[in-house]
Amino acid sequence: MREAFSNALVHLALADSKVLLLTGDHGYSLFDKFRQCCPDQYINAGIAEQNMVGMAAGLARVGFRPFVYGLAAFIPIRTVEQIKLDIAHDDLPVVLLGDGAGFVYGHLGTSHQSTEDIACTRAIPQLQVISPGDRFEMTAAMEYAYAADSPVYLRMGKADLGDIHSGPINSLRPGRLLKVRDGRSDRPGLIATGSMLRTALDIAVHLNLMLWSAPFLKPLNLTDVRTAAQVTNGLVTLEEHSVLGGLGAAVTEITSEHQPTRVLRIGVPDRFSEHCGSHAYLLREHGLDTDSVGERVGAYCQWLASNTIAIA
Amino acid sequence: MRRTVLEMAYAGSTVHIACAFSIIELLTVLYRHHLRYPGNDPRAEGRDYLVLSKGHGVMAQYACMHELGWLEDSHIQNYFKDGTDLKGLSDSRVAGLEVTSGSLGHGFSVGVGIALGLKRKGTDQKVFAIVGDGELNEGPIWEGSLVAAHHKLDNLILIVDRNGFQAMGTTNEVLALGDLQAKFTSFGFETRKVDGHDEAAIDSAIRQLWSAGPSKPKALIADTVKGKGVSFMEGVNLWHYTRLNPQSFADAVRELELTGASQ
Repeated sequence: MREAFSNALVHLALADSKVLLLTGDHGYSLFDKFRQCCPDQYINAGIAEQNMVGMAAGLARVGFRPFVYGLAAFIPIRTVEQIKLDIAHDDLPVVLLGDGAGFVYGHLGTSHQSTEDIACTRAIPQLQVISPGDRFEMTAAMEYAYAADSPVYLRMGKADLGDIHSGPINSLRPGRLLKVRDGRSDRPGLIATGSMLRTALDIAVHLNLMLWSAPFLKPLNLTDVRTAAQVTNGLVTLEEHSVLGGLGAAVTEITSEHQPTRVLRIGVPDRFSEHCGSHAYLLREHGLDTDSVGERVGAYCQWLASNTIAIA
Repeated sequence: MRRTVLEMAYAGSTVHIACAFSIIELLTVLYRHHLRYPGNDPRAEGRDYLVLSKGHGVMAQYACMHELGWLEDSHIQNYFKDGTDLKGLSDSRVAGLEVTSGSLGHGFSVGVGIALGLKRKGTDQKVFAIVGDGELNEGPIWEGSLVAAHHKLDNLILIVDRNGFQAMGTTNEVLALGDLQAKFTSFGFETRKVDGHDEAAIDSAIRQLWSAGPSKPKALIADTVKGKGVSFMEGVNLWHYTRLNPQSFADAVRELELTGASQ
């Protein structure tokens, strides 16, 4: 997935000399190929993220296409105000790349963990929020972000979890869900984003559930979510992000108004991590490992089977 | 121009009059002698960029834009009326204003990006960024200063409105700035210090800056008086927040007429 990211960036930069990569002194080997192919389009802006985002706005104002890279804990979190005022307010074509989202840098502690970035960015007008779940979604997301010609936050989480889709995605359409697998209509359907897509797929196969990928957190297509709610018995959302303000919130904002159904929101509880540990360890600490999630979804299936209530 | 600011502030019952008065001469010199707007078009592609990072002084810029014909009389008369376009802090959606400011320490970074972009394009367009001295409390100003020097942005001039005040008191009382000229010199800027109300001196200092120190960004420290032009506002920080009433409006206008400081 990181290779898909790097390749897509190089491809875009080679095709358009206005594409610039700005990094806040992060990304070391990730940009080897970029630096080799497009050295003049690479700017290390130093450990100065706020200025970097403002600078990207200035570059966009005079016709450049900045891609601004940082860890998600910094881009967007440290620079939310610059994104709001300098970029989104003027609808400037800047792509913000937040890497290592969720618990990728689990060992390093709270400063490098990012479980609030979707919530913070979703509320900024004119900013689209994308969270690809495998290398095919990543390639399509990069192409989409470039073509959007407007502000995009692209969230990159745990990237080595393998393919979800069987091949390249022709093109992402704004807000649309991608159907990953079919399953039983009398059971809940799963909607997952980013790194949790792998977990969701394993569980969906095990319990024979329908599964959609949500590469977009914003916009989110009303009809697609409504359809998912209609053809299943309840929904489960899965994300490596706070249960507040992320995918679960985005889905329930739609279902509560347009297609009321039961929604189980699986994500990071509203608390900081307690201990040091690997990505897998921290997922367990927050109940997001496959076993814990599988148990919750299994119990939810049983509960729904015996407690289904008609919602008018 | 000060008269226009007073009329706007009175019409809209707004604050930040003193912040506008300290940069009147600076803006006058920039618009008259330095900023290039092909076809007098504030959005012309080949224009120079005036970045008002200290958005609190925006009424001074409105007054200039009115003189240039970019704003109508009705803009001045209807300031702050519901549904109008001119806000109390600079907003880039208004042609002539390049950044959305008011949250301080933003505009300069955007200006650094514009300057870097213009250099990459190989044009001779220039960027003039006006920051307040209180605004220098903000970290991104110093981040941007490092970047400007590192990238040799000699098409960028940072102008500090050194009026010595910020919202809650003097800059010395709140967060002392020390020797600003020495600070920017040490950051790698070519610097000059000037009386920010002496138009000839400002013009000369800017010309010197452009011709000196190749490959260096420029910094002009302009010593100014907050509230300049109206004696009961000068150096009185209350006028950061105070609104005009009929009496103070009449007194201020009368004084400007008597002293001829209303340009």
